[in-house]
Amino acid sequence: MAVYVDIRRCIGCRSCEVACERVHGGRGHVHVHFVGDSASVPILCHHCEEASCAAACFSGALHKEGSRTAFEVEKCTGCGLCSLACPFGVVWTEKIAHKCDLCEGRAEPTCVTTCPANALTTDFDLLSHRARSRAARAVATGGRR
Amino acid sequence: MIRIDLRLCIGCLSCSNVCPSQNILRTETAEERRILWKRCREECDLCVEHCPARALSLVPFDEAVPEPEASFDLVACRICGRRYATEPMLRRVEASLPPSQNPEWVRACPTCRRITEAERATGEMVAGRLKRAPGWGGAE
Repeated sequence: MAVYVDIRRCIGCRSCEVACERVHGGRGHVHVHFVGDSASVPILCHHCEEASCAAACFSGALHKEGSRTAFEVEKCTGCGLCSLACPFGVVWTEKIAHKCDLCEGRAEPTCVTTCPANALTTDFDLLSHRARSRAARAVATGGRR
Repeated sequence: MIRIDLRLCIGCLSCSNVCPSQNILRTETAEERRILWKRCREECDLCVEHCPARALSLVPFDEAVPEPEASFDLVACRICGRRYATEPMLRRVEASLPPSQNPEWVRACPTCRRITEAERATGEMVAGRLKRAPGWGGAE
């Protein structure tokens, strides 16, 4: 499982950032980035299949657990190798590593339940369904998506 | 007392993070990271155990041995120029990743990696919106 982003829906309100910080004691894992005035996109952990952070972690604190990249805080020494290995810059270190845990213990990640624009989801099929509908609409309306 | 092999140390500060008696001091400026291992009498080997480079070992206490100190120049991000990591750490990360991944992102700081990813993810959409400018976002 991972959190998927529908960038066409993101309104750049940063609610996901705030919600993530609230749940994780002020240390959030989501960064909303703005591309000029035309787009915004939350950048967050992809829970990569071949996770670079887990490959760089020497203590086994970061490891794959099924489809998620799990983090065991007791094993972390705060060396920061994971932060330097993450291709997306979403793992950071301050004494210990901080990364998305998909809001363990909650039914859905808080960023997903908070997003007022429904731009975040854990349902990949929903996203691909939306993309197909958009493509179909584009054909029907002559290119306008 | 701690003995350190400065050729192995990568400057990651793990030892300083795990030391319960704060005997391993760090000073970091925008350009340089310095680590000082104070003479310590504790019978504790947390730092030795948690060193990713296995650079530390315990030796009997000796007043005469000078306190070891390491200094690392921080490497500049290839995009924004901000200094963000020590060279041995970056080399270690590169070595831990499969070469097939071509990990050139390692030489960019985490902030620039996020910006790059944001631009990549929105590229097509932004181009489409700008093409329709100034009308986009207006009436359907």
